[in-house]
Amino acid sequence: MTKITLNGREVEADPTKPLIHACHAGGVDVPAYCYHPGLTPVGSCRICQVEVKQGEAPARVVVACRTPVAEGMVVETESPRAHETRRECLEFLLKNHPLDCPICDKAGECDLQDYAYAEGQGEGRSVEPRRRLDKRKSLGDVIVLDEERCVLCSRCVRFMEEVPKTPQLTVGGLGSRSVIETFMDRPLTGNYQGNLADVCPVGALTLKPFRFQARVWNLKKTPSTCGECSRGCATSVEVLRSGDVKRIRPRYDAEVNTWWMCDTGRFAFEPLNVEGRITGGLARQGNTVRPVDAEDAAAATARILTAERPAFVAVTPWVTQEEGQAIRALAAEWKLPTYLVSPAANGLEDDLLHTGDPAPNRRGLVELGFQAKSPAEVLALLHSQSAAWLVGERMAALLGAANLAAVAGHKRVALFDVLPVDGPAIEVFASVPLYVERAGTWLNVDGVVRTLQSSRPLPSGFPTLERLISLVSAAARPQGAALR
Amino acid sequence: MVIVKRKELSFAERLYLPEIFRALSLTFRNMFQREITRQYPEEPLPKTEVTRGQPRLVELEEGSLACVSCGLCEAACPAYAITIDGGETENFIEREPKLFEIDMLRCILCGFCEEACPKDAIFMSDELELAGFTRKGLVYGIDKLRRPRAALQKRIDYVYRINDRWRNSSSTH
Amino acid sequence: MTVTLVTLLKILVIYGGLINVAALMTLAERKVSAWMQFRIGPNRVGPWGVLQPLADGVKFIFKEEFTPEGANKFLFRIAPMLSAVPAMLTVAVLPLAGDIAIPKLGTFDLPFFGPTELGGITTNLSITDLDISVLFVLAVSGLSIYGIILGGWASNSKYSLLGALRASAQMISYELTLMLSLLSIVVMTGSLDLREIATSQATIGQWHIWTQPLAFILFVVATFAETNRHPFDFAECEPELVGGFHTEYSSMKFALFFMGEYCAMAVMSGLTVTFFLGGFGVPFWPDAPWFVELPAFLAKTAFFLFLFIWVRWTLPRFRFDQLMGLSWKWLLNLALFNLFLTGLASALGWF
Repeated sequence: MTKITLNGREVEADPTKPLIHACHAGGVDVPAYCYHPGLTPVGSCRICQVEVKQGEAPARVVVACRTPVAEGMVVETESPRAHETRRECLEFLLKNHPLDCPICDKAGECDLQDYAYAEGQGEGRSVEPRRRLDKRKSLGDVIVLDEERCVLCSRCVRFMEEVPKTPQLTVGGLGSRSVIETFMDRPLTGNYQGNLADVCPVGALTLKPFRFQARVWNLKKTPSTCGECSRGCATSVEVLRSGDVKRIRPRYDAEVNTWWMCDTGRFAFEPLNVEGRITGGLARQGNTVRPVDAEDAAAATARILTAERPAFVAVTPWVTQEEGQAIRALAAEWKLPTYLVSPAANGLEDDLLHTGDPAPNRRGLVELGFQAKSPAEVLALLHSQSAAWLVGERMAALLGAANLAAVAGHKRVALFDVLPVDGPAIEVFASVPLYVERAGTWLNVDGVVRTLQSSRPLPSGFPTLERLISLVSAAARPQGAALR
Repeated sequence: MVIVKRKELSFAERLYLPEIFRALSLTFRNMFQREITRQYPEEPLPKTEVTRGQPRLVELEEGSLACVSCGLCEAACPAYAITIDGGETENFIEREPKLFEIDMLRCILCGFCEEACPKDAIFMSDELELAGFTRKGLVYGIDKLRRPRAALQKRIDYVYRINDRWRNSSSTH
Repeated sequence: MTVTLVTLLKILVIYGGLINVAALMTLAERKVSAWMQFRIGPNRVGPWGVLQPLADGVKFIFKEEFTPEGANKFLFRIAPMLSAVPAMLTVAVLPLAGDIAIPKLGTFDLPFFGPTELGGITTNLSITDLDISVLFVLAVSGLSIYGIILGGWASNSKYSLLGALRASAQMISYELTLMLSLLSIVVMTGSLDLREIATSQATIGQWHIWTQPLAFILFVVATFAETNRHPFDFAECEPELVGGFHTEYSSMKFALFFMGEYCAMAVMSGLTVTFFLGGFGVPFWPDAPWFVELPAFLAKTAFFLFLFIWVRWTLPRFRFDQLMGLSWKWLLNLALFNLFLTGLASALGWF
């Protein structure tokens, strides 16, 4: 560790990182557009200039992202000279930047906007018109480029080169005509394009699925975990007005995903905005299905599981450790085998993040003692045994709703899923919340604990899965019996 | 400390009756004065450009809204009366409101939305009357809010005039 | 038979008239207050708004009947009736006009009664002639306080209870002044019969307003307090007690309180006229027929009703301690003094 003086304060700095990293670590907000902690610094935007005095030499203004840390460095980030230099730099950056903020999706989380608001001048001094470039240039299925907004920081170019190691972007053209472009205007490919919109410090690269969907300050951001593969990337689930999930973004997690996430997980929010969910559950009597509340659904489940043998419990890999533990305890009491419906690998595996295994909590549930079985094996069990308790979201999707509906009517199945499935064997249905609405933990493929948080409120009468399981457990006990 | 000297009252004044009779005579005389009541629905108050009525959206000559659904009025609204959902269009301005609702029951006619708007898309009209049979019916959508620019011109000119110092060559247009 | 029919007819006419007076008073209240404040007043229902009371009545009928939680349901329900009925009862002994001679109308074959001779009697325009009608008036009008107290107590609301407490304290206090000021008149005329008191003031010079000016002033002030009118309306003092004793009342129950108040005003005005302004006597026409006497009485009464409204929209409300102080420290003593003087004069045989 190297000792430097940052704004009159002695701080320890990592000598392998550039000066701007030490500034940020020391709690000093130095603006940065081209610098990204996950990418090689290039020093192209020049906005991170600070005043540095080293030894006896007079103080110089340098770009903090390209200056190595040296012992005894005296850094002033708020000196008038540093401010003035940054302000001049900002004026050049804004010279051709359109005043698009009311339209721009980045507005509200835009570094350029924030710094222009804090330090910029109210009026431009330029008399020439702004340059006019393509405002809607499609770069493949995921990304749209607004060339006017681009400040040519080249973060996106470096991201494509350094992270997925599939260099597809470059800075083309000369001088003020420089633009970001793909080779021969080919569309971008790969499973990591979504990160381009995150690394872009301005609103030049935007996500097509999120384009103009919501203003970012209206989004409620909840730290969560991606549920699309067993990596369990740290995400931020962003919900508009307690309703739809509008966007999922990676959250920095040094252990798992650093700053990135794959597009499979990023764009998996459509199924989280399901419609037609019911509160409580459904109970079948003969051919009629009537709505019941969660307590009744749990009681009916308990009746099935205590009366019928042979029976089994199966969960999907979206069940959390806490819920899995409760289910295991219940199954042990009733001497039921517990299975994990284990989806097959989906072939999306890469050497960056995606594991190819779409079961986020496989490792945790297997460690709890759930026996992994393929959907086909579970279906076979359904046909051969007389009762089953199927718990977890996407159960119908994994087993196939048609397959579930085809199970013969004399079998007794309690299905705890997100959407009801109509079938003669499905005697009880209880609505469970999605994983973005529950709190709990998963274990990822490396055994790292991943936490889930509820990102939007559940409607009243909509119990969490843990509560549902405890209701089942309570219903099986005689009235008044002490719980454990 | 201030010592207030109360005026010594005469017997007649303390009796209070003369004052009562003076008051009675005053009200009696008032009965024959001209009324100053305005018969409201038939004789509305004159509306000036300063009148802050209900907010309305500006419809441009080509029939589209000036609004780009930036959400600043939504954020500025102290009564949380505005709800906006944006969407993409093929126009040059790529963004337009798909849903723009003002809950007129919540709106307090403060004019913050007008002040916040960077696109001169929302103005306080001179429309004041508001009545309905359901709460839902008073949540106005785009169809009820859009007004041709000409209908709001008086207010627009006024706002431009009082905001002149903010508006110069480097402004939004 | 004729007497029964005539009495029934009088009851019908006089009570119908009283209720209409009460209804018209609500309109008059609003109109007069509007004029005094340079406004127009109700002018939407009917010409010049004369049908406003009708619209108000319809509104009252259709309003929600609300009984607050924890209220004593029975008392809550009968309190408005207890308030309105005594006020209306007193009108039974008010002499509205002198004798009416009904000519013989012939013999009619009535169902149940057989051939009956109708007509041929002389009656007068008051429902009943009681020789102690002054006592009756004072006794019955004192009862209306029960409606207010019960209404305030049964509402289970602090505002109502405070309003009722104030009203009871106030009405008890002013009842003394009211009665003592009347006693001087009784001493002078030697009768407790309202009709006799009225007829004893045959000429304008005999009006008790001239012989008993102090009693007149005391009586008028006391009637304001008795009817809970401005400037003594502490029972429903809005800035302090919301609506006072009728805070929790709505719909026709509230309307009954309202009607009781206006009936009481009408009756009190009629009493003032009877005691001090010669009753139904027509000035300068001692033997006027009844159809002149009745309008004369109504006109005099109307002036006092106007006075009620006039004062309400002129004077500010007293403070409650001032109100009680006025009663116990001044009015009561003055009334006693006045009674003493009248008694002295009577003993000395001055009249």
